[in-house]
Amino acid sequence: MKRVQFERSVVPYLFVAPQILIIAIFFLLPAGQAIYQSFLLEDAFGISSQFVWFRNYEDTILNYEWLGSAGFTIIFSAVVTFLSLAIALLLAVRANEVLHGSNSYKTLLMWAYAVAAPVAGLMGNLMFNPFVGDLYKGMNALGWDFNHKLDAFDASFVVILIAVWKQVSVNFIFFLSGLQGIPKSVLEAATLDCRSPTRRFWSITFPLLAPTTFFLMVINITYAFFETFGIIDTTTRGSPGGATMTLVYKVYTDGFLGADLGGSSAQSVILMIMVLILTVFQFRFIERKVHY
Amino acid sequence: MKLKQHVIALATLALVGGSASTSFAATDIQWWHGMGGRLGEVVNEIADKYNASQSDYNLIPTYKGGYEDTMTAGIAAFRAKNAPEIIQVFDAGAATIINAKGAVYPVADLLAKYGKGFNIEDYISGVRYFYADSDDKMIGLPFNASTPLLYYNKIAFEKAGVEPPETWEELEAIAPKLKEAGYVALAQSHSPWIFAENFHSRHNLQMATANNGYDSTDTKILYNNKHMIAHWTKLKEWLDKGWYGYYGRAWGDNQDAFVQGKVAMWLGSSGSFGGLQKSAEKMKEEGKEFAFGTSYLPYWKSIIAEPKSTFIGGAALFSFAGHSDEEYKGVANFFEFLTSPEQQYFWHKETGYVPVTNKAYDLAKSDGYYKTTPDAEVGILQLNQPGAEWTKGYRLGYYVQIREVMYKEFEKILTDDSSVGDAFVTMEKESNALLSRFHDTYN
Amino acid sequence: MTHSLWRSLSTHGILILGTIFMGAPVWIAFMSSTHPADTLIRDGMQYWFGGHLLETYNEVLFVEGGVMKKVTASRMLYNSMILGVGFAVGKVIVSMSAAYAIVYFRFRLATPLFWVIFMTLLLPLEVRIVPSYGVVANLGLLDTHFGLIVPLIASATGTFYFRQYFKSVPEELLEAARLDNAGPVRFLIDILVPLSKTMIAAILIIMFVVGWNQYLWPLLMTTQEENYTIVIGIKQIYQVLSEGGELPQFQKAFALTVLATLPPVAVVLVFQNWFVKGLVESEK
Repeated sequence: MKRVQFERSVVPYLFVAPQILIIAIFFLLPAGQAIYQSFLLEDAFGISSQFVWFRNYEDTILNYEWLGSAGFTIIFSAVVTFLSLAIALLLAVRANEVLHGSNSYKTLLMWAYAVAAPVAGLMGNLMFNPFVGDLYKGMNALGWDFNHKLDAFDASFVVILIAVWKQVSVNFIFFLSGLQGIPKSVLEAATLDCRSPTRRFWSITFPLLAPTTFFLMVINITYAFFETFGIIDTTTRGSPGGATMTLVYKVYTDGFLGADLGGSSAQSVILMIMVLILTVFQFRFIERKVHY
Repeated sequence: MKLKQHVIALATLALVGGSASTSFAATDIQWWHGMGGRLGEVVNEIADKYNASQSDYNLIPTYKGGYEDTMTAGIAAFRAKNAPEIIQVFDAGAATIINAKGAVYPVADLLAKYGKGFNIEDYISGVRYFYADSDDKMIGLPFNASTPLLYYNKIAFEKAGVEPPETWEELEAIAPKLKEAGYVALAQSHSPWIFAENFHSRHNLQMATANNGYDSTDTKILYNNKHMIAHWTKLKEWLDKGWYGYYGRAWGDNQDAFVQGKVAMWLGSSGSFGGLQKSAEKMKEEGKEFAFGTSYLPYWKSIIAEPKSTFIGGAALFSFAGHSDEEYKGVANFFEFLTSPEQQYFWHKETGYVPVTNKAYDLAKSDGYYKTTPDAEVGILQLNQPGAEWTKGYRLGYYVQIREVMYKEFEKILTDDSSVGDAFVTMEKESNALLSRFHDTYN
Repeated sequence: MTHSLWRSLSTHGILILGTIFMGAPVWIAFMSSTHPADTLIRDGMQYWFGGHLLETYNEVLFVEGGVMKKVTASRMLYNSMILGVGFAVGKVIVSMSAAYAIVYFRFRLATPLFWVIFMTLLLPLEVRIVPSYGVVANLGLLDTHFGLIVPLIASATGTFYFRQYFKSVPEELLEAARLDNAGPVRFLIDILVPLSKTMIAAILIIMFVVGWNQYLWPLLMTTQEENYTIVIGIKQIYQVLSEGGELPQFQKAFALTVLATLPPVAVVLVFQNWFVKGLVESEK
C-alpha cells in the first residue's frame, strides 16, 4: 500500500539522527566489541592480547559449568513461563467472569508488574531469611527440611517462586484484555452448544487466545532469561554450587567479577545467537498465527 | 619616589601572590578502595589526618564497591587511560594485576625512588611475600592484612566445661560435649580461604606447582591431595553429626550464627574481632550475653607436629603506572605516612587488621595494648609463627573463578551431591583449565 | 450467562487467593518496616502495624546510611526519579522522532535504517553489558546521569510502538495538511502530537516504570554511593545491614523495599487505564 509521505532530503535524517546516533555508539559499538573480543585472549588490562579464533567458544561451551548454567536457564525459563502463564490465565478467566467488582480484581492483580525484579528478590530473600523469614520457618514447620543456602532444589524453588510472582501480572493483563476482546456473540453461541464451562474454555476460548499465548510465551522466556538477573543477584547469586546460575548471570560473574573478557564476550555472543533464534521464531510463528 | 613605592608594592604583591598560588596547588592523589562500613569510615579518618598533616598533596579516597567492583573499575579506568594513583586490590586479584607487565609501579621501587627508601625487613614476616614477585620484590603494599583465627563462645565453653582446641583432634573430642550443651560446635565464613589456602600453609603443604605459582604462570593446582580429602571427609562427617554448621556462602550469615549463640566456635578473620566486640556490646544493651575469646587456627596433629604460620588475606595498595613524578612523590609520601608506627597502630586498633611493620607492632606492645586487649595480638602472633617453604601465599590467575569452583564443589560435598574424591577431581580439572587459560593470556 | 453458585464461589475464592498471593509480600514488607529491629529478630515478620513507622522511615530517608555513610534514601529516590523521568522523556522524544521519519518520509536510507533500528530489538542490554560498560567508561560517562540514561535509549521498543501507531493514523490527515502547504514540522507539532496524546502518555508511563526499575546497568556504572538509585541501593545497603557487625536492621531493609516500590506502583495504579492501554495496544 503506497503511503502518502513527505519528500525531503535533509529533514528525515534530522529526525532519525538521535536514535541512530545512540544506537551506533551504545549498541553497535559494544555489540561489535563483544564479537571482536570473543576472538581474543586478553589480560584484563589490555596489555597483552592475542587472536585465538574459536578458543574462547570451545573453552566456554565445553566447560561443564557453562553447560550447567545453560541447562538451568532452560529449565528455569520453561518452568517460570509455564507457571506464570497458567496462573495468570486462571486468574484472567475467572476475573473475566465476575459480573460485579471485576475492575477491583483487575486493579488488585495487575500492579506487581511495577515492582522491580531486584526489589521482589529482596522481599523474597527477607521472607526466606532463617532469622526473620516466616516462609523459611513455615516450610520447615510443614516438614520440608528447607535450606535454600545448601540445597539446590530449595534454592531453585525460591528463585522460581519470586520470578513467577512478578510475572503473573503482565500475563494477567494481556490475557484479560485478550478475553475481553472475544466477541460476546461467539461465547453465547458456544454456551448453546456446550454446557460445561470447562469444555467451552478448552475448545473455543483457548484457541482464540492462541496468538496472545504465543506472544506471551516469548515475552516470558525473554524475561526469564534476562530480567531475572535482578532476582538472582539479590537472593542466591548462583549458589549453592552454581545451581541457580543463569547464563546472563554467568556473563556478569565472568566478565565483571572475574575479569575474563574473552570468555565473557564469547558467552555474550552465544546468548545473542540464542535470542536471535528466539526472535526469528517469534516473528515467523506469530505473524503466521495472527493473520487469519 | 612614588613610582619606586609602586614598584616595590607591586613586586611584593607578585611575590606573595605567586607563592600563595603555588601553595594552593596541592596535587590530587586518587585512592580507590573497597572498604565499606566501619572500615570505610576509618579509611576516611586516615585520609583526613594525612591531608591535615601536610599541604602538598590532597588524598581523595573513593569507595568503588566490593573488592571485585573496585578492581573492575580500576581495569576500566586503566584502559581508558584514566587510572587512579592508588588502588586497593585483593588477594584473589593479585595475579591479575601483578602479571600485567607495566600496569603498576612496584612499591619497593617507588619508595626507593620517590621516598625515603625501602627495606622489606621493616615488615613483619607474615606479610612480606604475598604481594611480592618471585625475586622477593614487593609490588603491592599490604594494607588490610588479616589471617584466619578461631573465635569461641566463652559462655558455651563454660557450659560444656571445655577448653578451646588447638588441634582438630581436640575439637573432635569436645564437640559432643558442646552438642549436649545445645550448640553446634563449629562454623566458618570462607571455605576456600580457611579450609584450603590456609590449611595448606598451616600444615606446610604445597598449594600449586611452580613455587605456589610465584615462579611462573604455567602452574597446576595441588589441592587434590590426601590431606585435603581427609579433612573434608571429616568435615562432612561433622556436618552429619551436627558438629559443623554451614549457613551459606555469605560471610555474615555464618558470623551471625556465632553471634546469635547457635554455634560455639567460628573461624573468621583476625579483623573480625572489632565487629564481634561491637555485637557483644549491642547485645549487652539488649540484655543478652555474648562473650568471646580468640585462639589460633587449629591443625591436624597427625599431619604436622608444629604448625606453621598462616598467610594474609585482605588486600594491598598498588600504584598504577603512567603518572607524573609529582604524583608518585605524593603516593610515596602517603605510603610513608600510612606505614608509620602511629598510623599503623591507629588502623590496627580501629579495625583489627594487623599492623604490617615491626615498628608498629613494637609500638602496640609498648603501649600496653595487648595487655588490655589480648585478643588483638593473636593474629600477629600467628603470622609470626615459624614460616616454612609453603607459608608465603600463592600467585594464581583467574583465582576469583577458581574460588567459585571451590565453593561449588565444597557445597556439593556438604549436600551429598558429590563424593569428596569426585569433588576434588573436578576442582582440580576446572582449576587447571582456568590456570592454563590464564597462562596462555600472557604467552 | 448463568453461572452456578459453585462456580461463582470458586471464582471469587480463586481471585481472592490470587490477590493475597500477589499482595502479601508487599503488605508484610510494609508492616514489618514499622517495627523495631529486635522485634523482627525475635518474632520474625510482622503482619500489622508496629508503631515505629515514623522512626524507621525518618531514619531511612534522612539519616546517612550506606557503606560510606554518605547516602540517604531520599537521595536515592531523587536519583531514581531523574532516571525514570529522564529515560521516559528521552525515549519518547527520540523514538517518536525516529518513527515519524520512517513512517512519514520517503528517503533513500529509510529501509536500511529501519533494519538497523529493528536489530536492537534482538539484543537486550544484558547481552552486551560488559562492552557497554567499557564504551561508557572510555567516554568518561561513568557516574553521570547522561551515561546512565542514554545507553538505555538504544533499544528500539519505543520507535516500534510509535511506528505502529502512526501507521494507524488515517492518511487523509496528511493529505489535508499537504494541501494546506504545511511542512513536516508543522504537521508533527500541530496535528500528529496532539492526536497522539494518549499514546504518548501511555508510553511515558510504561517507560517511567521501566526506567525506575533498571537494575543491571545502574549497578555497573554507578560507582559512587551518592549516585545509587533506590533499586540498586537497597541491595548494597542490605549487604551492609546484614554484615555490619551490628544487629541486622531488617526493618530498614523492609522500609527500603517499600520505598523502592511505591512510586512505580502508584503511577501504574493511578494511571491504570492508560498504562494497560499502552501496554496492550503497543504490542499489536
